[in-house]
Amino acid sequence: MNRMRMGRTAVAVGVVAGLSGLLAACGSSSGSGTSSSAAAASTSAAASGSTSASAAAGTCINEIFGAGGPEAGQGVTIPAGMLLAVTGQGSFFGKVMSQGALLAADQIKEAGGMDYQITVADHKSGDVPTAITETKKLIQNGIEVLQTSYGAPSEAIIPIIQAGGVLTFNGGGSSPAQLSQDYLWMNRMVYAEDPAPGALAWLHKTYPDAKKLALIGTMENGVGTFKETAPNIWKKLTGGEVVAAEQHDVGTTDFKALAQKILAANPDVVQTFSFGDDLGYQVKALREAGYKGPIMMDEFTSQAAKIAGSAYEGVNFGVDFYTPANPNPWNQCYVKAYKAKYGEDPEYYGSNYYEQVFIVWDLVKRVIKAGGDPTDAAQLQAALIADPTFNSVYGGDATTVGKVTLDTVDHSISKPMGVFVVKNGQPELIQEIVKIKAGEDPNSALK
Amino acid sequence: MNFELLAQLTITGIVLGSFYALMGMSFGIVYQTSKIFHLANAIPFAAAGFAAVWSAETFHLPMFGAFIVGLVAAVIVGLLILVLGYFPLINRNATLLSLFLVSLGVTVAFPNLLQIVFGTQNKTLQVYGADGTLNRAFETQVYNVGFLTITQLDIVKIIVCWLVVLCVVLFVNKTRFGRSITALRTNPTMAAAVGINSKVVYIVVFAIGSLIAGMGGLFVTTEFVAYPTMALQWTLIGFIAVFFGGIGSLPGTALGGLLLGLLSSWSSVWLGVQFAPVVVFGALFIILLVRPQGLFGKAAA
Repeated sequence: MNRMRMGRTAVAVGVVAGLSGLLAACGSSSGSGTSSSAAAASTSAAASGSTSASAAAGTCINEIFGAGGPEAGQGVTIPAGMLLAVTGQGSFFGKVMSQGALLAADQIKEAGGMDYQITVADHKSGDVPTAITETKKLIQNGIEVLQTSYGAPSEAIIPIIQAGGVLTFNGGGSSPAQLSQDYLWMNRMVYAEDPAPGALAWLHKTYPDAKKLALIGTMENGVGTFKETAPNIWKKLTGGEVVAAEQHDVGTTDFKALAQKILAANPDVVQTFSFGDDLGYQVKALREAGYKGPIMMDEFTSQAAKIAGSAYEGVNFGVDFYTPANPNPWNQCYVKAYKAKYGEDPEYYGSNYYEQVFIVWDLVKRVIKAGGDPTDAAQLQAALIADPTFNSVYGGDATTVGKVTLDTVDHSISKPMGVFVVKNGQPELIQEIVKIKAGEDPNSALK
Repeated sequence: MNFELLAQLTITGIVLGSFYALMGMSFGIVYQTSKIFHLANAIPFAAAGFAAVWSAETFHLPMFGAFIVGLVAAVIVGLLILVLGYFPLINRNATLLSLFLVSLGVTVAFPNLLQIVFGTQNKTLQVYGADGTLNRAFETQVYNVGFLTITQLDIVKIIVCWLVVLCVVLFVNKTRFGRSITALRTNPTMAAAVGINSKVVYIVVFAIGSLIAGMGGLFVTTEFVAYPTMALQWTLIGFIAVFFGGIGSLPGTALGGLLLGLLSSWSSVWLGVQFAPVVVFGALFIILLVRPQGLFGKAAA
């Protein structure tokens, strides 16, 4: 009898565990079988068809960054890796990030600069064990620079990149846990934490009677902002309170129950710190549940906009936002080359990874000028700390290239940020905002 | 207790549970007849969505024309898996584990194939309007009944899902061919002895399962978008509905799906919505402990 019970228990545990595992796997990344080498091969193939676009852009790159030649790194090969979501739900992000970096590598080589050799590895849309394994492989293959993405995988690989001495940039899932980490630099504002004061201050300014705030967030990125920063700022701004706070797994597609719980709390405004496609499902569910008030998000992607359809109209978001329309000469050179190569406008994430390669190029040139070894990541990082300001496709104007500055203490970045509204499916800037320090008046985040 | 919220979540649970029931029927009819753990049921689901999007844009088909193309694609893909993947192994008396491994392999490969062919971008089902522009095929209406809210698509989903459940149950229980399916399921040796061609039964059963999976894919594509990894989570829900409701009982599978949907939705009243999967798997665990044959399944003799 006991053996029968044990047998039943074993079967039950086995079936539940097996199905749970499969469901979890599918939540993070289903159907992901691409090896890093296969991904690298495909991206190299994509890069090979780009010469004409890059050559066309070569002149404008030289105009902005100076002449090529040995002093500009010609003849120097930088082995680099990218740790991206090549497969799984976030594969769109992996695609645009690699496109940005590959274009930059082509443009720099065409302009007589370094030969930036990229190998793309797949963390399968945020799978931490895979990210660790793939990073180890990249380091064993001798990379000197790594462009990583997502929050959890990037946090997990910190000890590995530090032990391997690999200069690393994250332009996607920046998070507080990645601050002040040796060898790791973020060229995206800290997710949720940096834009939240400005976004909430704008909500308060625009809807002065709003007191009840509902918060939505994931259990991965922006958790600190969700639990502490945003409630504190809202109380400081309005004297009001958080009436609902709902978290969900990354990759959730059914937000109907969540939307109904939010609606039942009768909030005046909703702030969500979710990201990626989740936002599209979420906003659609909120609107279909009957919520008609303001929704403030933390990013805009065309992917999520497709999911939400007309429900995205009028929704706001506060972010360090990239726009192809920026007349900044480097940005226009970049947009033209990107369109020629990929047949579409560049977007936010691709632009961050594009800029990272140019930061590396700048560092290589500085190390060569100082008589150092440009293939030594430690020397590249020392050059970054000595002068953390770089050209940018963000900011600037029709005659001036934008500038961004990395913080040499916490390794974050300062970039132009704004509150935007979605109109006719496209983002429109309505308020510039700036990063503020903890404890400062949140209203001062409005520029 | 917020009764308005509970009532609204009940509506949500019925919508969700109806879709779970549909997915349960799709997997259940295949599994119960062939005993193949047909994870690759995810493939017709995604194939229907992508075929509908592609045909609407390429051949300027109206929404229902694109649906038909999507369903045909689902059936073709499902039968190709059976004929090219499973039959050669069945002919060699391969174990069920071998069949499962084939299923797992194609399930992993197919989303990558979709990414290569169609790209990584989400695909919206769009149809050409009279002015020649492409527009989203379907924008759902929201209906308010008192304090309750439901969308037009949710109503369609409930009706279609339960009509499909009814049709499949009637087909299996009331038709001559359906009795062949039951015979093959309950006693394959005896079924063969009385002249039932198991391959023909498998073809019909896989066609039905793939057709239903394709319907699921079309619902998701119409409501949101099509994307390469869209199917696996719903396919797994189908498995859970089968084990929860009862192996060997198609009505039990459908009721199991409905109960899972309600449980998942109701649990968010007391727990955060992130705990819904925990509740679902917890319920499955308890059911398997207490009634290994599932809630409405029949114990083996």
